[in-house]
Amino acid sequence: MGVRDVLASQLPILIVLLCLGTVAKAAVVRSGREPDAAQLGPAVLIPGRFRAPALLVCAAGELALAAGLLLTTHPAVRWATVAFFAISTYVLMELRRRRPDAGCGCFGEVSSAPVGVRSIARTTVMTGMAVMTVWAPVPGWVAFAQPSWGMLLAGLAVLVVLSPEVEELVERARHRAPCEQRPGPAESVMLARLRASGVWRAHRAELASAEPYDSWRELCWRFFVFKNHQEDDVVFAVFTAGRRPAVRVAVVEAGSETLPSYTPVSA
Amino acid sequence: MTYPSVDRRRVLAAAVLGREPGVPGPGADDEPVRAVAGQIRDVSPHLILVETAEGETERLVIAPWAKAWHGGDIAPADLPVGARVVMRTREGRVVEHVWADTIRITGTIVSVEGRKDVSVELDCGPHRGRRTILIPYRVTGRLRVRHPQFEPGYLFDAIGVRKDGTAMALLPATSQPAYPARSVPAPPPVYGGTTTLSGTVTWSDAFDEDERGAAYPMMERSDAGCPDAGVSCAALPYLAIGSLLQVRNVCAGRSAGVPIVACGCLAGRFCDRCVECDTSPRGRIAELSPLSYVELGGDLIKGCFNAQIGWG
Repeated sequence: MGVRDVLASQLPILIVLLCLGTVAKAAVVRSGREPDAAQLGPAVLIPGRFRAPALLVCAAGELALAAGLLLTTHPAVRWATVAFFAISTYVLMELRRRRPDAGCGCFGEVSSAPVGVRSIARTTVMTGMAVMTVWAPVPGWVAFAQPSWGMLLAGLAVLVVLSPEVEELVERARHRAPCEQRPGPAESVMLARLRASGVWRAHRAELASAEPYDSWRELCWRFFVFKNHQEDDVVFAVFTAGRRPAVRVAVVEAGSETLPSYTPVSA
Repeated sequence: MTYPSVDRRRVLAAAVLGREPGVPGPGADDEPVRAVAGQIRDVSPHLILVETAEGETERLVIAPWAKAWHGGDIAPADLPVGARVVMRTREGRVVEHVWADTIRITGTIVSVEGRKDVSVELDCGPHRGRRTILIPYRVTGRLRVRHPQFEPGYLFDAIGVRKDGTAMALLPATSQPAYPARSVPAPPPVYGGTTTLSGTVTWSDAFDEDERGAAYPMMERSDAGCPDAGVSCAALPYLAIGSLLQVRNVCAGRSAGVPIVACGCLAGRFCDRCVECDTSPRGRIAELSPLSYVELGGDLIKGCFNAQIGWG
């Protein structure tokens, strides 16, 4: 392993982390919810109405750096990355001093734990990695194509140890909200899942129209109602969790307040 | 998307999942209490004549112990003719509580003007638009002490009367949440599937006069057509317009099945408690129409009751 490989070895990590940061910050803004102090990170230090734009600017900056690292060997991009992580380290230290309740916000809402020594150590390590890559002779895509596995895994291991987000993700996976409290997939996605089901194929011919005339979500089910050729209601219930969810169907006579003309079927 | 008939949803959902559709209305073993809403045509110490929303006239007996509220406690016989009232009746015909011209002013503060009499513009959510209310000088202290953040972006909730077309706030309906309206705290984590939840239930005057139903915050945004839906600091399940909510008033021991008829985007922003008979867990779980609220044993002036809801 030459010095060149060592210098370029951390490029893939930096690029992937910058992209993750972009996606997570954009997701925080896009969710539309006013993020609380814990999720905003350094953005809590600026006035409320500038917070969302500040997150977006930061996300765009990260994306630009990631693209630059991936495609070019230009020293300006490399030094900009060093500067970005060095400033982040300083900002996190400042944040820890001024708003001890705020999370680092590095990866959006996952980073809601208060900034600790580990988060600061992580940005310091990443500054170091960025400094290493300044003299790397190849652009990021070459480092992706011919990774030096040993160095890559070592860098990754250090970062995992220093990331409070990993524990947060494990906690979330262990204590997931029950399905009736989780936002479900979009209506169009659920309709596509219904159309991929065997129950749909069995009843498709009866329907007067392929588009539902009513749809709503209740608890863990999304309901779609169609008219059949006799003007009766054909109602499908699709479970909101899973890629191939359970689908049930019933036909209810028009105008009837009573229950189904035949028993529900399970997929 | 249009809703051909939201009542039909309950029947269809019950059919496809093989469960009972549920019937809206009061619980079987409760003492019968009926709420009547209308406009006073005539009132005497013992009788009150009201015209209901359907245009029918109802003649009701005023109980000797009956109470009335019209900006303050008054004798029922002193209620002005023409006032819009909500009444709680026992045995169907005996009035025991009258609330006249009572309004509930809930919203996000948009602007505050005036030094003595304060005029406040409120954003009452995407469905209810904006309204301007007046806080008379004599009650500003009482309202401000429960609304310490009296500035744009914070929530406001008060009870008042409509007088000569002006909405006047008189009583605070809650202690104002300390966060801006857009920063609702996240719900506490829940482990395992429960089918009941406790919290506070309030009322709103944004329903039709003779409507029985509830506004519920936790709906899919695409279903409710409401960009603010799906926010709550209570661990509420997703339901839809047309679902039936079992509401139990813990203070009065009454329960009823109340259909969800509207999106309660604003109710979901309040992470407050009701201290009506005990301290409820945080979070508004539903906003009832005045008739449903009174039939569940609520007092419009108190603004909330501790409640337990069930679904499914």
